[in-house]
Amino acid sequence: MTIALTLTGIRKSFDGFLALDDAAFSVGGGEVHALLGENGAGKSSLMNVAAGLYAPDSGEIAIDGRPVVLAGPADARRHGVGMVHQHFKLVKPFTVAENILLANPRPGYRRGMAATREAIARQAETLGFAIEPDRRVADLSIAEQQQVEIVKVLVGGVRILILDEPTAVLTDAEADRLLETVRRLAETGVAVVLVTHKLYEVKRHADAVTVMRGGRTVATADPRTASTAELTELTVGQTTPLPARASFDHGGTRLNVGALTCARADGQVTLADLSFFVRSGEIYGVAGVSGNGQAELAEALVGIRPPLAGEIWVEGAGDLAKAAPTARRDAAVAAIPADRFSHALAGSLSIAENFAVGEVHCGRYGGWPLIDRNAMRRATAAAVAAFDVQGVRSLRQKAALLSGGNAQKLVIAREFSREPAVVVAHSPSRGLDARACGAVHQRLLAARDAGAAVVVISEDLDEILTLSDRIAVMSRGRIVAEFDRPADRQAIGRAMVDHG
Amino acid sequence: MVAPPLKARRLGRLTLELRQNLPAWKQAAFLTICLVFGIAVSVAILAAAGIAPATLFDEMIVETLGNADSLRAVLVQATPLILVGLGAGLAFRVGFWNLGIEGQMIWGGIGATAVVIYGIGPESLRLVCMGIAAGLGGLTWVLLAAWLKLSFRVNEIIATLLLNYVAAYFLFHLLYGAWQDPTTAFPQSVQYRSFERLPEIGFGVSSGLAIALAAVAVAFWLVQLSRAGFYMRFVSANPGMARVVGVPVAAVSIGAIAASGALAGLAGFVNVASQEGRLTQSFFDGYVFAGVLVAFLSRNDPIIAAVVGFLLAVLFVTGQTLQVFYQIPFTMVQLIQAIIVIAVASSEFLIRHRMRWTR
Amino acid sequence: MTDFLINWIAGIPVTAAPYALAALGLIISERSGILNLSAEGLMLVGAMTGVASCIVLGGHPLIALVIAMVASSVVSLLFAMLTVVLRINQVIAGLAIVFFCQGLTGLIGNLAGWQNHPIAGLDKWTIGPLSEIPGIGKILFIQDPVVYLAIPIFYLVNRVLRFSMVGLNLRAVGENPAAADAAGVSVALYRIAAIVAGSALVGLAGAYISVVGVKLWFTGMVGGRGWIAVALVIFARWAPWPALGGALLFGCIEAVIPRIAAAGIRVPQYLMLMLPYLATIAVMVWAGATQRGGAGEPGALGQPHVREERR
Repeated sequence: MTIALTLTGIRKSFDGFLALDDAAFSVGGGEVHALLGENGAGKSSLMNVAAGLYAPDSGEIAIDGRPVVLAGPADARRHGVGMVHQHFKLVKPFTVAENILLANPRPGYRRGMAATREAIARQAETLGFAIEPDRRVADLSIAEQQQVEIVKVLVGGVRILILDEPTAVLTDAEADRLLETVRRLAETGVAVVLVTHKLYEVKRHADAVTVMRGGRTVATADPRTASTAELTELTVGQTTPLPARASFDHGGTRLNVGALTCARADGQVTLADLSFFVRSGEIYGVAGVSGNGQAELAEALVGIRPPLAGEIWVEGAGDLAKAAPTARRDAAVAAIPADRFSHALAGSLSIAENFAVGEVHCGRYGGWPLIDRNAMRRATAAAVAAFDVQGVRSLRQKAALLSGGNAQKLVIAREFSREPAVVVAHSPSRGLDARACGAVHQRLLAARDAGAAVVVISEDLDEILTLSDRIAVMSRGRIVAEFDRPADRQAIGRAMVDHG
Repeated sequence: MVAPPLKARRLGRLTLELRQNLPAWKQAAFLTICLVFGIAVSVAILAAAGIAPATLFDEMIVETLGNADSLRAVLVQATPLILVGLGAGLAFRVGFWNLGIEGQMIWGGIGATAVVIYGIGPESLRLVCMGIAAGLGGLTWVLLAAWLKLSFRVNEIIATLLLNYVAAYFLFHLLYGAWQDPTTAFPQSVQYRSFERLPEIGFGVSSGLAIALAAVAVAFWLVQLSRAGFYMRFVSANPGMARVVGVPVAAVSIGAIAASGALAGLAGFVNVASQEGRLTQSFFDGYVFAGVLVAFLSRNDPIIAAVVGFLLAVLFVTGQTLQVFYQIPFTMVQLIQAIIVIAVASSEFLIRHRMRWTR
Repeated sequence: MTDFLINWIAGIPVTAAPYALAALGLIISERSGILNLSAEGLMLVGAMTGVASCIVLGGHPLIALVIAMVASSVVSLLFAMLTVVLRINQVIAGLAIVFFCQGLTGLIGNLAGWQNHPIAGLDKWTIGPLSEIPGIGKILFIQDPVVYLAIPIFYLVNRVLRFSMVGLNLRAVGENPAAADAAGVSVALYRIAAIVAGSALVGLAGAYISVVGVKLWFTGMVGGRGWIAVALVIFARWAPWPALGGALLFGCIEAVIPRIAAAGIRVPQYLMLMLPYLATIAVMVWAGATQRGGAGEPGALGQPHVREERR
């Protein structure tokens, strides 16, 4: 097997933060090589170096045994290296053909367009994709957009294909189909790098695996012989098992959502007649493929998206469907939004301000003429300690400087500063490493055990299965199926796509 | 296979990173470097226009600050500058680009003059009535733009700027028509009587300055100490998140915008009721950018705004002197203001980014 | 009445051309993702250099227009440096450039004594016998060369934007700079080029006002037309042909104002002068009330691009 791409001694820092430290990696033609590691281990950064997007501080890149310096992504593609990023690099308002022509420029627009269409048709046929060159990318599903990305890279004659977390946005069935395609590509001699944090994908689909941790490549192994335990140990270091579940003992209905309907400004219905209830002491998991109304449901529950119709009834507070966010906070509804730094924290403000803001309106930190900053600092210091928020050098420090896990802990500390009656958590562990993820899950379980009604909305089926007492599947703005624990993973997966 | 460009091989790449944090002293150093550079460019331009640096120093420091009459002029000039700077800063704090300061000043002047012309209120309270009318005038004019933004998504930058022209033509309509002083041929209103003009508070300084300093104190309390000020920080930092955590985003924004317009209206009142003593067709000229400049340089902080407003007044008064004695057009002051803003804005680049050569 | 109408309609191109050219120039730079508020200032630069060139050259108005375009492009390099290279807030940068240009033109123009200095300006072309056709002749066949040139310029810009590799890359840079960057398109280069090229048209618009329209220069003579052009771009959803339509609408309004007074109709003149600004606001309200949010707006408008961002 010839070596197609070799990276040695790669170092890369971002404003003093060392993202890659002496990382090494190599992949050969015809091989599917997995790059395994947790979020933040440096997988994407290393591959961005290989794809020419990041210039390394030091280290060697060699292609087909010859050292190269990549001047940029286009230069990398000329050398035969192409990458499909986790966040697709597609121009949404453009058509498929325009996107592919953009990345693979040809002299002359009209002739280039004709040649591009031909090339798309050829590639699509080889890969078994159904791609229409004249559809707008914005109108395509996530899986279709990914196919466009793959075709885009292959049309340019790429022989080293990097796929960054390709299955993270796909349903189980779509992921299987993609990985079969990848295998077929490798059989034609393409070197494939599969960046992933999912162990079972590595075990089932990779020929070799390189494990990264903390910016370093710690080992390369054969996934057929290495045991799951070994690989897990390599990936996360010491493993902490999830706490045993406390006995399940729920009370009466705490939250009732009835016939909830929401629509976007352009009139498109995002939530259609959606109903469910959650009992006190219960975690209700809402699963589904991303973009089926989960974000809108979360926003309606926390009060930033007023519904057109329907009720959100909370025990002791009544119908809050049209109530302001302050009324919901007074009813002890805790909100843990999906994107911490855009919806839960003001990154440019201090940790103390971000913690205290949740209870300013009820007068805990002084009346309207004078706010009490000392009280804020005292309360924040206590909460930072109680919720184990790490990396706080000063309470005046900007919240943006916290790592993802600690930022999430700060959000939870604020939302749980009063005992919550209802918790709405949207993708609470997205982007967190195993330890932080475990801590967040423990908090949610503790809230449940204390009697809260918890709604967990997540696209990560593993998270839903770990936490939930009951599981709902959302599709096209409705709840299409409900499962009691223990739920069958296969059945849930089917429900997610059947109606989608 | 195409070889990589030779240049890339030789020189490596210039990479740019977003800084996570930078110590305050370094930020101050970058700011100072850029400010000094901006001032140097301004001095060079003046030198090219025929003002030697020594003359400039003499006019600016010795003549302007060392002479009681000039210092008085500076304090008079600083009053409206401080008021519009505070006003612009309040609106910027809630992410509203209030570029309609001139229009709001005009309505402030019109409001105050209407009180004079229609003789509203007893003579002893006439000035108070004028001030209230001026504040309301400015407030109404800015809320018109805010309403257009909230109801019809009309960009407030465009709306406030265009409304300046509308207000100016309405002012001309009055000054060349119904409100023209019948005793002169000039487009100006009748002279205010003594109880309609802001009295002096000693040293020949008008009580307008007291109004401005009181406004600084109130703005400081509002921004730094009150709950509304705490909320404003969230509205500008992240309005989407602010709503979730219970910040009354709409109320805080509209309140700050209204206060911004009212302060601009007061600036108009101070100008007509102290300097000119009548409504003229130019009492508002050039205050949009002055307001933006003061707010921008003071980072919307009321106390610093007062200092910057004073320094800008020194520049204005020096500019007037240069115009009279050296025939340098007053637009020079505008040019220098723009250069300073560009210089300070450029320091943001050094503060927020980090550059380095790789390989 | 017919005479009034024909004179009015024949006067529209002259008043509409500055709006149309400035809006087109802004469309070019905004399609690359740069929120461009500098138009008012660059039009002032064009207006002054146009008249100055005429005075210095002693005529040659067409050369003067070209010099004005070059001068605006040169000044726009400062705007490009602030927004593309230094990545400072594009609103602040645009405003600073406007005031910079106001100060600069006022200073240079007055020191050089170009204020209120009348020039011959640019003559209208009379297209042979066609101009003799009653009514239509005066409207369509007695106009100045810039008006005739405007149509092919619009056609060309529209074509390049929609059907060329350059246009494809430019739009990609404005919609999603990260994607364009990954595709190997130089974001900075395209943005700088778009600003400079667009500013040439903005400068032409300014020079047109002074050299062709008023035939003299005075401080601040653009009088807010640059801001109206910015509004026009939003109204036209960043598309050239609708911008031309909007420009003609504003041309109609501006052309009618002096003619009403000339026709002896008694109206308050200062209230009439408000009309273009009120009409702009009305058009923006109409656009906001009827159009879906964000349609046509370049996805990355106003956002600086930094590649090496840690996620």
